[in-house]
Amino acid sequence: MNVLSIAILTAALLLIVTGLYMLVRTYNMIRIIIAVEVAMKAITLLLAYAGWLNGQTALSQAFVVTIIVMEVVVAVVAAGLAISSFRKNGDVDIRRLNKLNG
Amino acid sequence: MSAGMEFVLLTFMGLPLLMVLLNNLLKKEIAQKICLSLGIIAGIVQMAAAVFVFASLKAAGQTEADFSQFWDLGVGASRFSVDFFSLLVLFCIGMVITAGFLTAGKTLGDKKFNFTNLAMILLLGMNGIALVTDLFSLYVFLEITGVASFVMISLNKEGDGIEGAFKYLVMSAIATVFILGGLAFLFMQSGSLQYGDVAAALSDWQYAEQPALLIAGFVLVLVGFSIKSGVMPFHGWLPDAYQSAPAAVSVILGGIVTKMAGVYALLRLTADIFVNVPVFNQILMLLAIVSIVLGAVAAITQTDFKRILAYSSISQIGYILLGASCGSAVGLIGAMLHFFNHATFKTTLFVNSAAVEIATGTTEIEKLGGLQEKMPVTGVSSILAFLSTAGIPPLAGFWSKLLIIIAAWQTGNVFIAGLALFASIFTAAYFLRLQRCVFFGPAVEGLEDTKEVTGGVCLSSLALSAITVGFGLLFPALLLFLQGQGLI
Amino acid sequence: MTTFIIVLCLVVMVGFAISAAMLRSMLKSAVSLAAMSAALAVILYMMGAIWAALFELSVCVGLITVVFISAISLTTPDRRDEAHAADHRRRFAALPFILIALGAAIIAVLVYTGFSLPLPGEEAVAEATFNQVFWQTRQADILGQILMLLAGAFAVVVLFKEGKKI
Repeated sequence: MNVLSIAILTAALLLIVTGLYMLVRTYNMIRIIIAVEVAMKAITLLLAYAGWLNGQTALSQAFVVTIIVMEVVVAVVAAGLAISSFRKNGDVDIRRLNKLNG
Repeated sequence: MSAGMEFVLLTFMGLPLLMVLLNNLLKKEIAQKICLSLGIIAGIVQMAAAVFVFASLKAAGQTEADFSQFWDLGVGASRFSVDFFSLLVLFCIGMVITAGFLTAGKTLGDKKFNFTNLAMILLLGMNGIALVTDLFSLYVFLEITGVASFVMISLNKEGDGIEGAFKYLVMSAIATVFILGGLAFLFMQSGSLQYGDVAAALSDWQYAEQPALLIAGFVLVLVGFSIKSGVMPFHGWLPDAYQSAPAAVSVILGGIVTKMAGVYALLRLTADIFVNVPVFNQILMLLAIVSIVLGAVAAITQTDFKRILAYSSISQIGYILLGASCGSAVGLIGAMLHFFNHATFKTTLFVNSAAVEIATGTTEIEKLGGLQEKMPVTGVSSILAFLSTAGIPPLAGFWSKLLIIIAAWQTGNVFIAGLALFASIFTAAYFLRLQRCVFFGPAVEGLEDTKEVTGGVCLSSLALSAITVGFGLLFPALLLFLQGQGLI
Repeated sequence: MTTFIIVLCLVVMVGFAISAAMLRSMLKSAVSLAAMSAALAVILYMMGAIWAALFELSVCVGLITVVFISAISLTTPDRRDEAHAADHRRRFAALPFILIALGAAIIAVLVYTGFSLPLPGEEAVAEATFNQVFWQTRQADILGQILMLLAGAFAVVVLFKEGKKI
């Protein structure tokens, strides 16, 4: 039995579930972005762990560094959308975003 | 590889980057005037470059060519590479970008400058998706394409645009989590994310140390890309994004972006990586047939021009994936040709919806009517495009759909092939409804003085219709050529 | 020892993830996220991914938190009504129980099936350093990062700058 592999896989899954649960149960645009970030942390953990397991630490570091850059830009764009929505509607509640459906 | 070809290969990533630099370095007043021509040049040069590279590869008897963008790379590097399919796709991208820029002239006002910057980044992202040979680099370019499209959807900063963009962003972030999670599991076993290495690691996946991890890996990747391509159970964001985007943006978005981000990636996965995993193809076939049927049914009930087109896209994407999931050469070729055809006729239809929006100010079909006489070019090109979508011979869409349905038949799933054939009738139904509401019948009050839109919009719908008809007529020759090559 | 520190950090990460979801104050959620990132940085360091740990620490703990805190201060009015707080508590009340049940189930399945992923021996670890791998084999990703930053810059121009005119 390998405590480490079990702990890491369990923690990663729990983090992803927490992120997705938060994503569907909240109405605040910024909290939605935080939820996505929580899930992305689990992904970073899994990729780093994969590199550690197969001996390609350097390659997995390259992946993680790139992911971090991507993550930041997405977070900035999402925050920009939330701020634009706030300027337009006066709050960041996604229940207000219901003009499109069908 | 000749020096000329090496240079042309560099233009796929170099030219749009150069256009971005030019656009930002020039004086603001000059840039405002010429920015759209920069985009049109980039699109047309890309089409020419794709044709040139295809001809050179053919002449040299090669099927693919590797190249690196800046400096020579070490062993096991993530290179760019072109083969015939990525050249076809690069040609489509150039075509749709050109059409999008031709449409932008009349619809964007003072947003042209930012539109050009973002569309060029979008072009770079899509070219990257077509060129990479590494799953992680594929994710990187997917993300670039995504970010550029979120901002373009919200370019007008109207409420709808922000809503569509945010929904797209959230769905795409969820897709990213699935894709990267899957990649992490695959990476654990393969030690590299090059297409070839992952395919090798998967070739005997039943005997791997932990087959559960590989299964988790490819299921997660499949779900992630299905969300990105808007296949039916995961389609929620797609119609919203298409409907809320400014006209020129929805041309590019509907014509090519979602197909690059999702469908092209899935085609690559089935053709290059998951060749030895039949389960992958079976799940894909199920998803494909569900979205063919439900997409067509949902399109019948919609009341917005762009939304009908969006649901029609979902249904047509289903056909492309159905072809790919058959696992035979015929199916794959049918899927690739349908990819090209769909890019052509769906772009035509989005350009037409843009023309209707410019002329009348709305895309709700109940407020429209009798536009055939006022807007003959738009009306006729729309009829051609929808006949091609519905698969009426001899237009281009008929031939690719025929190949796909034959391939589905050959796999033994007669029921699925029949269902795909039957759904074509639905396609005809929703487009007839659209055509009748918008173009036929008496003119609706308030639209009597509508005029045909001139200039770029008209030009691009004429050119795209010519491609649809011409390609359809030339198709038997293409089939004979492919048969001569021993491909079908 | 490594195992102990990593497991401790994992527990900290899950704990802060729950607090990011359950705390009503947005600011505290953002800080919880930063704390998660810090714990992740320690794990990365323990796994030998030193550069990744550095990036995680400077960018995710620093920059992203700044982005979130500015966005929160620009958008969220400071309201403290009880109804809203109760609503929030009600929506997230199930989360800890779901996580405990799910975690126990996963651990039970993994232990029962004898799941184990052995670490490679010293000789199987690739020699290449991060620098070599990143600059010599990941050119496409580097180009991608440049393009992403350009896209981010144009996004800021569109979403932030023009908004002020309205």
